[in-house]
Amino acid sequence: MIDLGPLYDLAAWLLPFDFMQARFMQQALVGLVLLAPMCAAMGVQVVNFRMAFFSDAISHSAFTGVALGLLFGVEARLSMALFAVAVGLSIIGIARRTSLSIDTLIGVFFSAVVAFGLAIVSRDRSVARSLQQFLYGDILTLSNVEVLWLLGLFAVLATYQTLSYNRLLYISLNPVLASVHGVRLGLYQYAYAALLSLVVIFSVWAVGVLLVTAMLVVPTAAARSFARSAGAMFWWALLVAWTSAVAGLAISAQPWARTATGATVILCCFAWFVVSQVWALLHKSSRR
Amino acid sequence: MPGTEGWEARGAAVVFEDVTVESGGVPIVSSVSATVPAGSFTAIIGANGAGKTTLLMALLGKISFKGRVTFGGTSGGRQRRIGYVPQRLDFDRGIPLTVTEALVMGRQRRPLWFGVQKESREEAGKLLEMVGARHLADRLFGNLSAGEQQRVLLALALQQKPELLILDEPAAGVDYQGEKLLCRVLESLRGQHGFTQLMVSHDLAVVTAHADHVICLNRKVIGEGPPARILTPEVLEATFGIHRGLPDLTVLPEESRAGEGEVRCKDCVND
Repeated sequence: MIDLGPLYDLAAWLLPFDFMQARFMQQALVGLVLLAPMCAAMGVQVVNFRMAFFSDAISHSAFTGVALGLLFGVEARLSMALFAVAVGLSIIGIARRTSLSIDTLIGVFFSAVVAFGLAIVSRDRSVARSLQQFLYGDILTLSNVEVLWLLGLFAVLATYQTLSYNRLLYISLNPVLASVHGVRLGLYQYAYAALLSLVVIFSVWAVGVLLVTAMLVVPTAAARSFARSAGAMFWWALLVAWTSAVAGLAISAQPWARTATGATVILCCFAWFVVSQVWALLHKSSRR
Repeated sequence: MPGTEGWEARGAAVVFEDVTVESGGVPIVSSVSATVPAGSFTAIIGANGAGKTTLLMALLGKISFKGRVTFGGTSGGRQRRIGYVPQRLDFDRGIPLTVTEALVMGRQRRPLWFGVQKESREEAGKLLEMVGARHLADRLFGNLSAGEQQRVLLALALQQKPELLILDEPAAGVDYQGEKLLCRVLESLRGQHGFTQLMVSHDLAVVTAHADHVICLNRKVIGEGPPARILTPEVLEATFGIHRGLPDLTVLPEESRAGEGEVRCKDCVND
């Protein structure tokens, strides 16, 4: 097992506050600092492709993934991730071959995965207790193994975004146009769906099923008001996500707050969004 | 404008052979056989719902169809360099994408969050120059008018160095001045680069003024050939229905007719 101690020590050194002395807080900070930019980067395309509903469907598939894991004796987090990727790829695969609109198709999958999860839970009440933690998420219980998984996913995602950011923009402008002009639509779409599914599932651990879409959408929604180019939008989304993650963790640890970390992070993102809208109103005339 | 009398002998850029597209068992286009002569400006005309865009999608390989589409003697067509200008973009106008970024995103490997490379910016500038839109380089694409967007999309299509340039109703949603400008730019570019231009249109004025080959479509081919020869009242009636057709200039006073002809010719061809 790789020793992540120095990484946690670095986190404590960067934020030299009392609440950061506990190891679980250092692990949570590392987890959030990895997860927030992944959500922000993938969120740029979620907003461009108008795929917020897709991430909702994937996050709700977590219930079924966990239930299936418990049913078949597979590690719950592995079954969650595998099931989410399968659902994500299925949605994209069928969307490419059917005349149904993407939101209708996602709606069908959304209902199906929730119903499937409920059906399994209704057979075994003890499973329901295991599912509750995924409803709200808890970044403070992040383990060493999970941080390692996050580091791996971060590396894969950084590579994917570096290679694909421009072409994904092209696809968001018009998929047919992009494909006629040589962009390999299927490759980018399937890879994006699989990676987004993994990011959504990892985010479920942190903020829970109910708030995961906010982690993806809100940083980009705020970034769009500040940015004057597609390149700048990426950095603004990262800035909003990172600052919100750190501020959310810090605030939630204060004795006067004592709030859920995931929810507090989202509230910080929302504060950024409010500021961005005020900014947009004040600078409306200068956007050409 | 070059005529296409004897176009059969000029060689074909695209040949449609018995192309049928169906949706739920209902034919959208039926047994279409037609030719796009190499180097021509070919217009596909027809009323709304005639299957014009569907035929283009079959040509681009974006929908399944029966029959065969051959590109200049090669089947399948993927080998040919194609530039495409869609009818309209159903995109999120809130994306803060600059015109330069739009022209770079299909070429530049380095992600745009590291900025636009100097050589990419220069190439984008040249493309914008070609379509008379250099001044739009730093504007946000979503904030452009329909006519300005069409010119940027044309620049994007020209980036492919196309042998075949396909335009799907490029004048839709564009005002008369914008349409006039687009026609002028296309005439000039085709003269310089010698590509084959295939354009879907239901604007007969544009077709008669600029196209040298026309395919009349109403789910099936009603006729094809040079506009002066093919656009007869019978063909137009079969293509558009009884109330559509070329403007009946004989009902106008003599001086109005002369003026109309001069303006169109002067603005769209010689301007």
